[in-house]
Amino acid sequence: MFCSRINIWQYAASLLLPVASFAFMPLSFAEDGSVSEQAYLQDFPVVLSASRLLQPLSEAPNAMSVIDRNMIKASGFRTIADLFRLVPGMYVGNLNGHTPVVGYHGSTEEYSRRMQVLIDGRSVYLPPFSTVDWEDIPLNIEDIERVEVVRGPAAASFGANSLQGVINIITRDAASLNGTELSMIKGGEGVADLAAHLGQAGEKMDYRITLAHREDSGYGSTVMNDGKFTNQANLRANFHPSGADSFDFQLGYSDSTRGLGIAGKADDVFRNVTATSSFQQGTWLHAQQNGDELKLNYFHISRNYIDPIYSPPVALTSVAAQTVADRHDLELQQTIQLGKTNRMVWGAGGRSDYVSSPVSLTAPYTFTQTRLFAHDEWRVSPSVLMNAGAMLENDGFGHTNTSPRLAVNYHVTPQHTVRASTSVAYRTPATLEEKANIPNAYVSLGGLRPEKTLSKEIGYLGEFNSAGLTLDARVYNDQVEDIISADPAATIDGRPYGFANLYATNYYGYEGTMKYRWSDRGNIMVNLARQFARCEITGTATNPLFVSMYLQGYMDECPLSVPDYSGSILLTQQVKQDLQVSAAYYFQAGIKMIGAVAQSSMHRVDLRVAQSFGNPGRAGNGDVAFVVQNAFQDDYTKYSTTLETNNMAYKRRAYIYATYNF
Amino acid sequence: MIICLLPASSRAAALKLAVVLSEQEGAYLEYSNALEKLLVNKSVTLTVTDADKPLPDADLVIAAGMKAFIIVARAKPAAMLAVLVPKEGAGKLLNEFPALAKSDSNTFSAIYLDQPVRRQLDLIAAVLPRVRSIGVMYSTPPKELGALRTKAAERKFELNERSVASSSALHTALQTLLLSSDVLLALPDAEIYNASTIRNILLATYRNKVPLIGFSSGYVKAGALCAVFSTPEQIAWQSANIVQEYIETRVLPSAQYPKQFEVSINEQVARSLALNIKSAAEVRDEIGITP
Repeated sequence: MFCSRINIWQYAASLLLPVASFAFMPLSFAEDGSVSEQAYLQDFPVVLSASRLLQPLSEAPNAMSVIDRNMIKASGFRTIADLFRLVPGMYVGNLNGHTPVVGYHGSTEEYSRRMQVLIDGRSVYLPPFSTVDWEDIPLNIEDIERVEVVRGPAAASFGANSLQGVINIITRDAASLNGTELSMIKGGEGVADLAAHLGQAGEKMDYRITLAHREDSGYGSTVMNDGKFTNQANLRANFHPSGADSFDFQLGYSDSTRGLGIAGKADDVFRNVTATSSFQQGTWLHAQQNGDELKLNYFHISRNYIDPIYSPPVALTSVAAQTVADRHDLELQQTIQLGKTNRMVWGAGGRSDYVSSPVSLTAPYTFTQTRLFAHDEWRVSPSVLMNAGAMLENDGFGHTNTSPRLAVNYHVTPQHTVRASTSVAYRTPATLEEKANIPNAYVSLGGLRPEKTLSKEIGYLGEFNSAGLTLDARVYNDQVEDIISADPAATIDGRPYGFANLYATNYYGYEGTMKYRWSDRGNIMVNLARQFARCEITGTATNPLFVSMYLQGYMDECPLSVPDYSGSILLTQQVKQDLQVSAAYYFQAGIKMIGAVAQSSMHRVDLRVAQSFGNPGRAGNGDVAFVVQNAFQDDYTKYSTTLETNNMAYKRRAYIYATYNF
Repeated sequence: MIICLLPASSRAAALKLAVVLSEQEGAYLEYSNALEKLLVNKSVTLTVTDADKPLPDADLVIAAGMKAFIIVARAKPAAMLAVLVPKEGAGKLLNEFPALAKSDSNTFSAIYLDQPVRRQLDLIAAVLPRVRSIGVMYSTPPKELGALRTKAAERKFELNERSVASSSALHTALQTLLLSSDVLLALPDAEIYNASTIRNILLATYRNKVPLIGFSSGYVKAGALCAVFSTPEQIAWQSANIVQEYIETRVLPSAQYPKQFEVSINEQVARSLALNIKSAAEVRDEIGITP
């Protein structure tokens, strides 16, 4: 630990001082670190390197919303998907009690295919649907350090499928916890969650472990069977033998049993499905000379989903259906400091996806994707920052796509920043869109082009630190081409459907966030979004008979698939040293998603009162919070694709959320 | 190595100056190279040697670093100037060699590596005017703690101290300190701040949005927000002035803090913490050239 200091003294003592002269140089003196100049002359590797630092909003090439631990706590939310209600322009709905629907700017549908979702750099949207199963990600909400939501395409920085945005979840560092934390949530609709976090930060090795259980009875209705029972375990360890190298290891496992089924539907009987999901991830971070940095990241995700009583469309007998997805991904990335005003990140990676789903695919498939990316941040002058980058990707379906991005941030004054940016991104067709083989329902013809977006935006950021005020607003125009949709092919009733690049949609609007902190004890955040969509038929349907009936129907629904207005307000006040009160208001105009039933407008108020005890940061501290969701009983209707669950409302619910640290 | 800085005619009157380096590398070598340039055309015969070699005959010996300081002190030179040494180290060594420390003899002086407490507080005030509370950690209370407490109180800073008994207690102490402090001021305490601990300390300060104030450019490079420090060249400049004074008066001034200093700011960290702060040059001008 003190090798450099001890060495110099041992060296000096052994070389120069005969044993007798220790009268001059008492041993205690030789061992005393305070006498050495090494502390002043010592060189350290770069610890807070670019990859560890959050990019400030005024320098980011995209609009970005950050949800930190304080906001997560103040919101009272117990599921990760709910957090996105705190992002302007984002839609969060629930298909049932355990299947949230998360979308941004009309990417909204049951399978949120048009957003990239990363957890510590690990891409978790999986085949065959290219969707994220939020319930079985092995991640506990209390382990989230912050969520960065990039609003707009960002393929140059975040890779494929960031067609309309990126959710980038950063979990707590292995060294962030020293001790044990317990939390418990107990409340209405059978909510019974437990989590234990334990960790130790050491000189060379840090680790943290989470064991968690989540349970509830879903909407608590007799119409839907949607309870859930999930267990999960996580380990994160960091080994840093020297300041220049760190090795981060993560393991996660989740095992979930959930109800499915709708009363009265013979093809959707009440049953329990199981989903197990696991991952392993290893990251080597190496600090090079001059602040350059090398990062090697590998991960493996495996998911196994079993529906014991799956009813294939138009079939008489039900079968047990298993879907297996398996992903390996390796990426090397280097950050190079090109002088004081220029920094470049470049890298290359490859991914192999295996998917097996006998009820929907003819055979198991394996796809290999490769990518090369570079991104340059150039400080043209103290007031002008330029971000330029691109990703070149081979998507494994025979397409090579180039996704460029260019952004200029102009600091009019240090308080006022204007940003103009344009970018292109692609979405690789989902395995199911390209390869579905579900007799009488979906039979893919293949040959799909990836969806493509061209995004343009102008943003403004005002940071008035002395007044505690931040304003972040933008206008945007995203042109999405070659949207893949079901294509009625056969002659009788359209079935089986294929998939084709049929539509183009222009999403435009404006959105913003205001944050105001009036003291260390109180702050408010206000998010607001206005969204519009213009849609047109650009592709050719296989069977022209259905153009007027089916495609035109889509055209009528499409503009309604984004809410006219939506937003959220989160207010937090430390009433007393040990008493915190927060209130949140979420609102959204009526909406009709593609393929879903119309939803009423939503106005919802959540309240949280938390009493803390003990000394912050010391053993024996904790808090007890009382959370009420939808306090004023605005029974807004849920996301639904079937008439039976059409008018089901999200009712008021309450729970106690207690944490204790020792 | 003996360098004759004067024409042969005037060499007879020249001051015989020996510079003893703890190591023939790094900051020590930068120091002697800078000093050599500054003493060109001065009435000085300069010998640069390292601590492992026999001490040359000299009127004045400059010891660069603690290792050289010990060796030179043991040789009882006519006069000596210690440089690149921390104040606490120099003080402890003088206790071992009381003859050197006699203030009336005017044969010993030192230029410390440390910055005066006032200058460190000036730095914090200039970089982060809104800071009210400063956190410090130490394994044993440093000599300067009294001065730090007094000066902090004068400037209405709240000083949060944590005495850390062991490296295993570091994390908990740091967590509680970061909850109550606006900045963390690093002290040259190798039990707390060393190559093994600096990573987790910096990550924890960043996570808590409490910047670390370092005391060398090495800290700023690693991720501290800023630091005030003196370069070997600046210490050499001050040494050259003392040598000149010695040539004229044969008297050494009392031990002193560095007069010239640099300010370094990690702009990436500042930007990431959304701190609109001044440039390093502006901050240095604001702190001023005070002793």
